[in-house]
Amino acid sequence: MDEILAEYIRRTVLKIPRDEIKTVLQTWGFLSEAQLQTVNFHQIKENISQDVVRLCEENSADIKQAAVLDIIYNHIYSDKRVWSVYQMSKTGEETEFFDLTDFKKKFKRRLRSALKNVTINFREYEDNSIWIRIAWGTPYKKPNQYKSSYVVYHSQTPYVFISASVLKSTLPLLCQALVVASNYRDIREMELRSHSLNSLKDIVFKRYSQNFQTYYPRPLQERNVAPESADLRIVQENRHEKERIERVNRKVFGDGPQPKLEFAQYKLETMFKSDPKMGVLDKKEPFRCLVKFSSPHLLESLKSLAPAGMADAPLSPLLTCIPQKARNYFKIREKKGIFPGSFVSP
Amino acid sequence: MEEGKAYSPCGVFAHLEMLEARACEAATKKEETERQEEKLARLKARVEELRLQRDELQAKVDLQQKRQLGKEGVASAPAQPSAQAVLEWKIRSVEAMLQVFYLTGISGKLTKLGVCFCISTAYEGTYLDSYYLDLLTKPEVQIHRHSVPVFIPLGQIAKKYLQTDIRRFLSVLSDHLNAYAGRRYQADQLQEHFSDQIEGTLQRNSLCNLLVFNYNVLSKRKTFLFNVRLLYGDLCCSLPTEVVISCTPDAPASLAETAAAHSDLFRRVALHKAFRSFSSAEENMDGAP
Repeated sequence: MDEILAEYIRRTVLKIPRDEIKTVLQTWGFLSEAQLQTVNFHQIKENISQDVVRLCEENSADIKQAAVLDIIYNHIYSDKRVWSVYQMSKTGEETEFFDLTDFKKKFKRRLRSALKNVTINFREYEDNSIWIRIAWGTPYKKPNQYKSSYVVYHSQTPYVFISASVLKSTLPLLCQALVVASNYRDIREMELRSHSLNSLKDIVFKRYSQNFQTYYPRPLQERNVAPESADLRIVQENRHEKERIERVNRKVFGDGPQPKLEFAQYKLETMFKSDPKMGVLDKKEPFRCLVKFSSPHLLESLKSLAPAGMADAPLSPLLTCIPQKARNYFKIREKKGIFPGSFVSP
Repeated sequence: MEEGKAYSPCGVFAHLEMLEARACEAATKKEETERQEEKLARLKARVEELRLQRDELQAKVDLQQKRQLGKEGVASAPAQPSAQAVLEWKIRSVEAMLQVFYLTGISGKLTKLGVCFCISTAYEGTYLDSYYLDLLTKPEVQIHRHSVPVFIPLGQIAKKYLQTDIRRFLSVLSDHLNAYAGRRYQADQLQEHFSDQIEGTLQRNSLCNLLVFNYNVLSKRKTFLFNVRLLYGDLCCSLPTEVVISCTPDAPASLAETAAAHSDLFRRVALHKAFRSFSSAEENMDGAP
């Protein structure tokens, strides 16, 4: 096991919070229980990582095992990366029987035919997701393990979640290989990005709670209804308005938890509207402006705006359409017709 | 009937195509008439139901009127239910009716801009997930929102039937969803209850239409490993169309028969039920020499 590999494994272990190192290593399964028992997981991380590397040397770890450890780390701590969503399209209508071995073979073949020095590793998870880790090299250099790309693909869906490497030039090749391997024709980037991979999946797979009007009442979660004040001297003056806001909010956002997004960005290319007498701008040209909303949990905070009295209900559809349109980056141009603002639909 | 006997291959094929098209037409027409008859029967039943209800209500009204007139306090009639009780009864019966609609599998509610359908899935008596479709009716029928999983070919089904025959659209979509729910249920049941017989992981995909796994087979007190590949070619069906079972090279020839029997069983019976019959068969066999 060479120096570089040892260092890579050591640095991967160092990234893991100390209390969780043992569980991650157990999931990895490369070191036996007996070996893990010999490590003191209460010492400082530096020492733990040295011990782990020593054990890996005993077992003659190679780059494949190290890559698997890296995938496991990124699967558990996927929130540390920013994920983008890509959508593939095809013209044919045949039902494809997704064959995992076939997919892996085609993917590797496509990448390797274009670039000799790549490390490619796969790992399947229970939820039908396939994780792919690709470390990129050049015709003259070995792959750089620290700047890998990660791809998450659910079979038989047209969506791919990519956390791209900082080496931007590798992205087109990666997209091409994905399209070929999954038997699609085309791939495009959607305007949807977040740190929370699961929330992105919830949005495109429509797993988040949408409020549909039905007669059959779905079990509503018991809300923390503040008990009607026992003190009769306290009267709710605007109870109707509060209830209306609650109702409208629930209709728009649904009952369940919202997907977790950190940003919503609106690029405005609209004309500045001012009093014609003021004549702020000499020429009539679009006033370019970028509005960015950021929050640890954007949709939940939007949902709580109206009940907290900070905004009118219903909220602007520009904000509430985010999960349904599956995008959080918008371009707003001048309205040409009756509809206010037009979104760029790629 | 024959429009000119052509002996060139093109002519024969064209003729065959025409016959096939005719047969298709006849089949769809037959389906259509069957559906019409079904609908008629349902409506007749509904009419009967409503007549019964009307008679009941009429009787109640008569009773009420008699009560009004005969104020002698003769409590010969049963106690008149209070307005509150009547309202409660009405609510309960409406809820029951809606529950019945929901249980039929496809129910809907008119919305401001169209209609919202709920397709509930079930497999052999167990109710599974429900999926929703919010449709707009103007300017033309289109899907506004939905909660159908992305791997169900909703776009294709909508392109074919949404504009022309909405019932067919719902029926086909319901078939897809029910079959998917059924396949997933079988795979989940297999993993939950028979994990001891399965070696390694159960490889499946999002649509659950391709399952590959290894399982143990007991024969003459020795266990052998069977590898099975189940292909569900028909997305509207919850039973496999193709079953390929292979054994390890060192397996005795008699196992080929067992493999064939298992293959046949998987094609006919739900997966978890097939496995249940294996374990009971093995229990019976253990007694035999």
